[in-house]
This record gives sequence, structure tokens and C-alpha cells, in this order.
Amino acid sequence: MAARIPYWNINYGVIIDLLAIPVILIFLYGLYLQWQGIKKGRLRVIPSITSMFQGIGTFHPAAFFVKGILNAKIYRRPASGIAHGCLFWGMVTLFVGTNLVILNIVFGLPVFNGAFNRWFMAFLLDLAGLLVLIGVVFFLLRRLFMPERLKMPEARKGFVLVGSLLGFVIITGFVMEGARLSAGNLETGAFVGNFFASSIIGKANALQIHTMTWWVHGLLALFFIAYIPFSPLVHIILAPVNCGFADPSPGVKMGVMDFSAFDDEDAEELPALGADKLSDFTRKRFLDFSSCLWCGRCQEVCPAHNTEKPLSPKGVIVTMAQKLNNTEMDETVIDSMSMEAIFNCTTCAACMEVCPVSINQPKTIMRFRQNLVMEQGQIPELMGKAVSSLEQRSHPFFGTPSGAAEWRKDLEVPVFEPGKTQYLLWIGCSITYEQRAWNIGRAMVNILQKANVSFGILEDSRCTGDPAKQMGNEFLFAEIAQQNIEDFSSLGIQKIITMCPHCYNSFTRHYPKLGGEYEVIPHAAFIKMLIDEGKLNLDTKKTGGRITYHDPCYLGRRNGLYEDPRKVISCVGNLVEMSRNKNESFCCGGGGGNYWAEETGTRINQERAREALDTNADTIAVACPFCLLMLTDGVKKYTEDTRAFDIAEIVDKFLKDIPET
Amino acid sequence: MKTLIIENIDPKKIGELMTVSRLFCDIPDIIALGEGQIPGLFGKAWQTDKTVAANLVSSVTAIIKQENYDVILMSVSTLGTGLAGPLSVALSAPVVTEVTFVHPDMVIERPVYGGKAIIKQKLESTPAILTIRRKYFETAKLEGTTESVLLDSIEQKVKLVAEKHEQTEGIPLEDADVIVSGGRGIGVSDNFTMLQHMADQFNGAVGASRGAVDEGWASPTKQIGQTGKIVAPSVYFAVGISGASQHLAGIANSKCVVAINKDEDANIFNRARFGIVCDYKKIVPVLTQAIMEDR
Amino acid sequence: MHIAVLAKVVPDYEVPSMDFELSNNRAHERFSRMLGLYDENAIETGIQLKGKTSSSLTIISYGLESDIQFLRKGVAMGADKLVLVKGTSDDAGIIAQNLKQAIDNLEDVDLILAGQQSADMDRGVVPGILAQMLGTAFIPQVGYIDYKNGDWTVSQMTATGQRELEFQGPGVLSITSIPENVPRIPAVRAIFAAKKKPVIKLNGIEQGKMPLQEISVEIPKIESVCEFIDAQDPNEAVKSLLTRLSEERYI
Ligand SMILES: Cc1cc2nc3c(=O)[nH]c(=O)nc-3n(C[C@H](O)[C@H](O)[C@H](O)COP(=O)(O)OP(=O)(O)OC[C@H]3O[C@@H](n4cnc5c(N)ncnc54)[C@H](O)[C@@H]3O)c2cc1C
Ligand code: SF4
Ligand code: SF4
Repeated sequence: MAARIPYWNINYGVIIDLLAIPVILIFLYGLYLQWQGIKKGRLRVIPSITSMFQGIGTFHPAAFFVKGILNAKIYRRPASGIAHGCLFWGMVTLFVGTNLVILNIVFGLPVFNGAFNRWFMAFLLDLAGLLVLIGVVFFLLRRLFMPERLKMPEARKGFVLVGSLLGFVIITGFVMEGARLSAGNLETGAFVGNFFASSIIGKANALQIHTMTWWVHGLLALFFIAYIPFSPLVHIILAPVNCGFADPSPGVKMGVMDFSAFDDEDAEELPALGADKLSDFTRKRFLDFSSCLWCGRCQEVCPAHNTEKPLSPKGVIVTMAQKLNNTEMDETVIDSMSMEAIFNCTTCAACMEVCPVSINQPKTIMRFRQNLVMEQGQIPELMGKAVSSLEQRSHPFFGTPSGAAEWRKDLEVPVFEPGKTQYLLWIGCSITYEQRAWNIGRAMVNILQKANVSFGILEDSRCTGDPAKQMGNEFLFAEIAQQNIEDFSSLGIQKIITMCPHCYNSFTRHYPKLGGEYEVIPHAAFIKMLIDEGKLNLDTKKTGGRITYHDPCYLGRRNGLYEDPRKVISCVGNLVEMSRNKNESFCCGGGGGNYWAEETGTRINQERAREALDTNADTIAVACPFCLLMLTDGVKKYTEDTRAFDIAEIVDKFLKDIPET
Repeated sequence: MKTLIIENIDPKKIGELMTVSRLFCDIPDIIALGEGQIPGLFGKAWQTDKTVAANLVSSVTAIIKQENYDVILMSVSTLGTGLAGPLSVALSAPVVTEVTFVHPDMVIERPVYGGKAIIKQKLESTPAILTIRRKYFETAKLEGTTESVLLDSIEQKVKLVAEKHEQTEGIPLEDADVIVSGGRGIGVSDNFTMLQHMADQFNGAVGASRGAVDEGWASPTKQIGQTGKIVAPSVYFAVGISGASQHLAGIANSKCVVAINKDEDANIFNRARFGIVCDYKKIVPVLTQAIMEDR
Repeated sequence: MHIAVLAKVVPDYEVPSMDFELSNNRAHERFSRMLGLYDENAIETGIQLKGKTSSSLTIISYGLESDIQFLRKGVAMGADKLVLVKGTSDDAGIIAQNLKQAIDNLEDVDLILAGQQSADMDRGVVPGILAQMLGTAFIPQVGYIDYKNGDWTVSQMTATGQRELEFQGPGVLSITSIPENVPRIPAVRAIFAAKKKPVIKLNGIEQGKMPLQEISVEIPKIESVCEFIDAQDPNEAVKSLLTRLSEERYI
């Protein structure tokens, strides 16, 4: 069989090649315009980052490859995942094929010969085209029958046009191939082309059809490429870039704020705290906004959105994307978003966990919150009370009927002694001031004593400041944290056991940036370690019955601790999983300061309690005092029994006294 | 001791002050404000329809000096509070406000720190000015009426432009002296009317736990607790409420909690002063009836 | 115009009864200190008025030098300066004398606002004493304030409703809480700015003590254990409940 000849049956075919030059220029110009938009974002204040990649941040090649190129996250939804896979990998193959043709023309690369021609140039490219076509049809149909997540609050325009364009490119490609084969001989492997040749295109008009479709195909393809950066398809570039620049460590990573400029007499212009308009955001956030696919996967998992609250993470990002598109840099955006929505976020990070393009939605939301609280003095009433209480009396539990030492009434608890005690058992505010949570502290004290751990507590009651941070008051957080750090260093504290994941997160993520570095261990991990080391005499006959485990957002998604608590539970009972577990866990509703909020819509904790009870578990285990409080309340909707317990309480119940010998 | 009552014409308030005055004298004198007959029997009586405290200071001072009173009694109100401070300066007299108990020898008790402590003070000179906290002294039965002379030469420092009496729909929870609160244990929406009847008898208000609000039995504005209202009644009836800490956060300053709950282990009993372990349906109607008969 | 707001720093007024403790007859020093509850309402009212009448606003306090850090919150809410008269007395007469000294010192005060009562002594009497010392009118329990053609119009919240009152020239008003004067949360910028606002410290005087002798301060015994009433016979139960309630003066 003779090899394919370039420009067979075509006059002046080189025009297409020449046209490719302006097309590439237009393509690059489109990307340049995108960059111009992103460049308007603020530079990061951290100097080491400011100098890096135009101030966008650190580049993470592994994340770029896995999340950006392999699109690892997109397959969580099988149908659209596979359709997207067809489209993407089909296009990649076609792109390679087209380049081979060019190489053939320019350098005479022998690609149209033998087995390579048959399997790659004929079969594989046909298959790729077919896959792309299937993908296009799937996505076009889905535009016709849009699911909620795409429609609400708004669907992205432009997909139909660019999708149809691509469809036409592929179809004309097939017709052209069919005509070529029909005029000559069928080719083994080119199954789609052969099909067109043998059953649709007659021999008679084959030559004309070929010439015509060759031109149409070529011109359409060029137009398509030039149009990409101006269409939603620009995400083929932006998405991998955004994935590469997103810090792959889990969690929202809010960082800490530096307020020293405010104290500085000659500081010129003081930076805005948080964000109120587009121009307050950094380039990385601008990249987030431009990369958003409007796919709505985030809102689909959002606990606030799922319980009829006005917040949608997609809504927030999309609003920003539109502002960016219209270059509305300096208009306030908070107004267009409702303060209620901004405070609805529980900072659970479920959205960023599913986002296929690694957007950090909670960070944007938190920036608004920070601005409302720190610049405008606006905060929902209950959160305001909690923050005031935190400021005035170092704990946010306004109105609490508990005294500071009541949780340890009639219990001998050692106080941390510098130089003697090894671990600080950090109690935190919720265990001190919420009666239901007292028992976590009591159980943990008992466990540590039975295991002969050298530990002590602080004499006075304290809070890490995390609630302030979650409610947007970074200033108060910094004040409290600095005070704690000072006191810790005068006590020589190095190792800390936490029972509250919020405290854990603060100690490990934020305190180091303020100068407080400690070895911090969440109690679930510590208990697991004690069990492993055989320091606990545990009744492991699994008499605990069915136990389901609720992953606290700040331990799971934000810090990746999934297995230790499960192993602990499995020692005393039979672990059963809820349908949403581990990194897909559904928030208890108490995060982001929403413990101090009166919810509208369905209560998040009741929805989660329902899910937990649906496992037919006897016990709902948690590893966070806030989750315990939220679920204890949520369960009441369905049963009078107390079902939710902290992991320390559960373990404490199965501790056997060491027999006296 | 010569005692003067200064009060608006209101049999209840005057009755309470009358009770206090008997600790100092047999028959007090009175300066009565407002229109109508002065209820009760007094020695001397002055009256005016001018009721703005700031305008009364000088004329009242003149009378006290002229008559040499030892004790001046008022109740805690815009009138009493408005006069107490200024009079004390005008008469160089000690003043004690919000009095809740009077011991012999001019030793007076009043709450401090939001009622968390009680201070006892001795009045070391006369005249002494006291404002009396409402409901701490019995209301004396006032027999007959007293003829009065006009209190004159009243100043016009402050002009009364308008006075509005508000007929509020029920008593706001925050101001109620008695609150009857229902929880999830009430079981059905309709039974909240049972609580309303009971609250009505006490002249109180109905509250709810979040449990009951969640069930849709009570409106969210009735919710008491951390995410609801914070209240401070003298008596708080918790009916079918388990006593979650978030609920208790709203009633920390209630003087007396009465819990009615069928579960003797319910946490509410840890906060309650009085507890009845029983189905509330057996108690509430009887209680309502009893108060009704009592009045 | 010049508005002065009187404010007092007090021990945490939300300490639960069970946890409340005394030392030297006063709230234990372990409790956090903070601006009084109604004083914050008064400051808020003052700031709103300052906006409406383009006045300047001074916060005046009698207390400890260490109270300044807490008073700064009030300044951050929107005051222009702070005057602290140093002293430790709890006597209403002495406190009023000292506040008068501060006001005389300022010379041009047109209106004085105070919280309805301090959150520790709960007396509500100091502003009245001060008013008489200054020879001006005193109006307690004020909610709204307005200024029109040289007249102050205020609404006084009475037990049964509201009164609208009008007066001229300086006066002392004690402010009660209404939905409109919920204290604002100062912005961070304002907190930093407050650190730079002037603080005038005056030495206190020990004059004007009232002829009152403090005998004791005690925490009333609250039965912390629940008294269970036998519910066998509902009629009996109700009867004994009502008896106990009135014996203990709850109703
Ligand atoms: C962040 C957060 C904030 C919250 N804020 C508030 C708040 O502001 N206010 C609030 O109230 N709650 C609040 N809660 C909810 C709180 O945790 C409790 O779930 C709620 O108070 C329970 O309401 P309940 O006592 O009515 O119901 P349950 O706890 O279900 O108690 C019902 C009680 O009724 C008793 N009972 C049943 N039948 C009868 C009968 N026939 N006669 C007598 N007794 C009977 C039962 O023994 C039980 O003790 C909050 C929870 C969270 C997590
Ligand atoms: S962090 Fe959680 S609550 Fe907030 S927007 Fe994302 S999914 Fe919703
Ligand atoms: S933020 Fe991410 S998950 Fe949400 S719509 Fe945009 S791309 Fe989709």
C-alpha cells in the first residue's frame, strides 16, 4: 500500500500551515490577556514567595502532574469523569497525531508506513476522534439537561459554542478521511474512516468532498485553537497551572497576619485586612477565579449549601470570576454576596477537597469574613458575642454556667511543672466551659494516668484563639496566640497533647509562624500509640458493639488523620462507616464559628446525625469536642438515647484496672 | 423615725413602701405624684401631677428640710432613681438604692455583682434615702385614702413632651419575672397552650428550648439559650427540657429554676432549685389551677 | 459640642453564680476585668450622637491605672480621648466628686452620659449625685437622644412605656440598653488608633464620702442541690412547690 502523500488532492494546502502561525499568535495573545488579568492581583507579602513565579507562589510539580495533567480528582464522578477522560486523552492523541503529520510534511518523518501507520495513524487516531466525539456529545447533551450543580447559581456560557465547534472539527475530519479512503483504498485500522467511505460517501463525489472538507476541517480546527483562550476551554491551560501552584498539603492554610505595620508610626499605606474588593486578592486567588470551571462540585458537597443556606462556594468563586472578567477591580463585592452567606461557611474544606482544579474556596470566603470583622466591625450577633467574650474573658462561651475548674471537680489532675512534666495536656475552651465536653478531659486524664504518662495541665483555663480566627478576627487570634506562646516558653513546654482538633490545627499550622514550635499530638493518635505500646490494659473483646466514626474536618481533611482513630475504635468495637467518610466526611456544622450561629434551613448536625444513625451503630465516635456537642444535639432529633461519645470516653470505658499483684 | 414616702399613685408600689415604712415609724407621710386619690392612711400628704423627677428635686428638698424627715422611701423606678442621687446631695444624706432587706439599727441589705453577693451597710446619719427593690417587701393593704395639699413651686428644668404607655403583646422574655419554658418533652405542639395558660397566671412569658423550636412547636423568637435569648427571671419553669449546657447558658442568671421532667437523671436537675420527677401533663394543669385560685 | 461618657471597668459580670468568689469583700481578682455592660451602651449612644452633632467625645473613668487597657476598647469604638481619675474608692459620693473634678477640668462639657448602673455595685446612683453637684438635670433610663435647635430631646424608658423629655443646656443622662445602642465592635484600625489617642490622668481626691458604713459582703447561700418534690399526688406536689417558692421569696 502506498504511503499517504501530503496535500494529496489539495492545492495551496500550505495556506493552512501558514495560517497556523497567526493562530498560534492569537492563542498566545489570549493567554497573555489571561495573565494580564491575573497579574492585577496583589503580590504576596511574604518576600520569599513574592519573588517566585511572579508572586503566585511555590510550584509543586507532583501536584501539577497528578492533579493537573492526570486530572486525578475528576474521576470521583464516574460519568463526567470518563467523558472528560475521553475528551482529554482523545484530544491529546489527536494533537500528537497532527504534529506527526506536520513532522512528516516538514522533515519527511515516515509516519505513514507499515504497522505504525496502521495502528497509530489509522486506528488510534480514529479511536481518539471517536472518543472525543463521544465526550463532546456527552457534554453537549449535559448542557441540554443540566444538573443542579451546573445550573446553580449560574451556568457558564460558551461551552456549547466551543463544544459544537470541536464536534464539527472531528466530524469534518472523519468525513475528510472517509472521502480520502473512498477515493483510494480502505485502510486497515482506520475503522471510522472506512465506515464513512463504505457506507456514506460514494466514490463519485469523493474527490470534491475531500477537498471541501479538508479546507473546512483545517480552517475550523485553526479557528478552534485560536478560540480556546477566549472560551471556557482555557481551563486546559489554567487548570494544570492552578493545580501546580496550589499548596498540596491538606487544609485551607490561612496563614497568620502581621499587624506590626499598624503600630508603626511611619507606615505609609496600611494594607486592607481581609478582602472587600477584587483588588484585595493575591495573584494566586486571581488564578483560582480564572481557573474555575463552574462545575459546582464544591457546592454539591458543601454542608451549608446542602442545608438550604445562602452560601455556595461555587457562587463565591463565580462571582469573583465575573468581576475579574469585567475588570471590576475596586467595587466592593461583599455586598453582592450577603453577609449571612459569608458567615455560613464552616471552613470544613470539603469544597477544596473535591475541586478538580484545586481552588481554595474557603480562603476567599475567609478573606471576606476578615474584612467584615476587622475593617467594618460587622459580625452576626452571636458570633460577635462569642468574640467579645473571647476578648474579655479568654473564652468564647458567653453565658456559660460552668466555672473554670468545674470540669475537673473531684478529680486529681497534675499541673504542668517546668522541667518535670513531659507533656502538656491542653484542655482548651470547649472542654472547660461546655458541660457535655467536660468528660472528654476527665476521660483523657484517666487514660494518661493509667498509662503512667508524665503530663500536666495549665492552672488557668485557656483558648488557643482559634474561634477568633475562624470568625475572621485574626487580630484577636494573634494576641491570644502570642500570649500563649510567651507563657509556654516560660514554662518550657515542648510537647502538647490536644483533645480538640481546632487547637491541634492552630498549634501545628499557625503557632509556628508566630514563633511557637511544639511537638503536638492529637489525643486520638496518642491513645493509638499508647495501645500499640501496650501501655493501656484495654478490654479488646470488642464488646463495644457497632461504632461509627465521624471524621472531624480539622483532624481529617485538614490534617489527614484518618486511620489512628479508626484503629483505636476497632480495638473495642466493630467499626462501621458512614456513606460519607474520611476525606469525604460531612461537617458536623460547628466549624467556622458556626457553633455560635442560629442556623437557617435544615440543621447540619441533624443531617449528619441521621447519616450516622443510618449505619445502625450503637455508638457514634468523634474526636473533637465541637463535633461531640453538635452531634449530641443532632441525635436528639431522632432518639432519646445518648449516642455520641468522644474517642477518649469510649476508650476510658474499656480500660481495665491493672490487677494488683 | 419620721418617714416620708415619695411615690406615684400606684397602690402596689405604695403598699410595698408602706410595709418598709413600718420598720421605721407608725404612720409615714407621703408625697404622691399623679392624679387621683392617695390610697392608704398617711400623716401629712402632698400631691402634684408633675412626675418628672428632675423638676421635683428642689421642692421635695424643701419639704424634707422643713419637716426634718429621717428616712425617705422610694421604689426603684425612673422616679425613685431620678430623685435618689440629687436628693442625697441636696440633703447631704446617705443614699442606698435597690434595697432588698432592712435590719434593725439602720442596717440595710442590697445586692451587688448582679445579685451574686449581698452587701450590708449601716446608715450613719439621717436623713437617709432608700430606694426599694420591687417585690422584696409585701404589699400592705391600703385602707382608706388621704387628703393632700398641693405640692407647689415645682421647677421646669425638663419638659415632658409626650408619654406613651405601651400595651405590649405579652411580656418580653427578657423582662419576664416568671418564665414557663417547654422542651422536646412537651411532645405535641398543642400542649404549648397549656404552658401559655400557666404563664398567664403568673403574668409571665412562655419560652422554649431549641428542641421544641426545632420541632416547630414554638417560634424561634421564644428560644432560650446560647443561640436564643438570655433571660433572668425569678422563677424559670423548665418543662420537658433536658438541660443541655447550651440551654443553660441562657438561664444562668435565673434566680430559681423549677424542673419538671419525667427522667430523674436529666441534667436540668443539676441546675434546678426544685424538681418534680413526673409527666408534666399531670402537674402543669394542677399548678395552673392552683395559682388561679390563689389570686 | 463636647460629650462626656462615664465608664467604669468592672470584674466580669457574667461569672456564673456557682463560680463567684470574694476576696476582701469584693469580687475575686482572678476574674477578668472589662467595661461595664451599660457603660458600653452609653459609649455607643455617645458615638452615635457624636456623629449626628459633630461633637467631640471624651470617656471619663474613675479607677485604676491598669484599667486603661480596657477603657481603650471604648476609645476604639470612636471616642477622642480618655480621662482617668485615679482612685480605688467604692463610695458613690467619692466617685461622683472625682468625676466632677474631671468634668470641671474639661471645662466645656455639654452633655454627660453614663451607663444605667455599674456592673459591680449595681447602684445607678452616681450620675444623679454628679448631676446635682454640677447643678444640672439628671434623667435616668434614657434610650434615644436627639439634639434640635439647642434642645435635647430624649426618650426615657419607664416600666410602662416611654416618655419624651426635652431640656436645655448640660445634663446628666443614664443610658439603658435598647436595640439601637448595642455596642459596636471596633475595627482593628480603630483599635490601633485608640492606642495613640490622648489619655489624661488625674489624681483622685478622697472627698465627699457618704455617711455609710460597710458591714459585710456575702455570697448568698444558694442551694446547689435540687430539692425534689414528691410527685405521687400532683395536688400535694403543687401545693408544696408553691409554698416553698413563696417561702424563699421567689414569687
Ligand atoms: C451550637 C448549639 C447551640 C445550641 N443552642 C441552644 C439554645 O440556644 N437553646 C437550647 O435550648 N438549645 C440549644 N442547643 C440544643 C441543645 O444542645 C439541646 O439539644 C436542646 O436544648 C434539647 O432540647 P430539649 O431539652 O427540649 O430536648 P431533649 O434533650 O430531647 O429533652 C427532652 C426532655 O423531656 C423529657 N420528657 C419527655 N417527655 C416528658 C413528659 N411527658 N413529661 C416530662 N418530661 C418529659 C425527657 O426526659 C428529656 O429530658 C444548641 C446546640 C448546639 C449544638
Ligand atoms: S469550606 Fe465547607 S462550608 Fe465552607 S464553602 Fe467549602 S464546603 Fe462549604
Ligand atoms: S471552585 Fe472548583 S469545584 Fe467549585 S465550581 Fe469552581 S472548579 Fe468546580
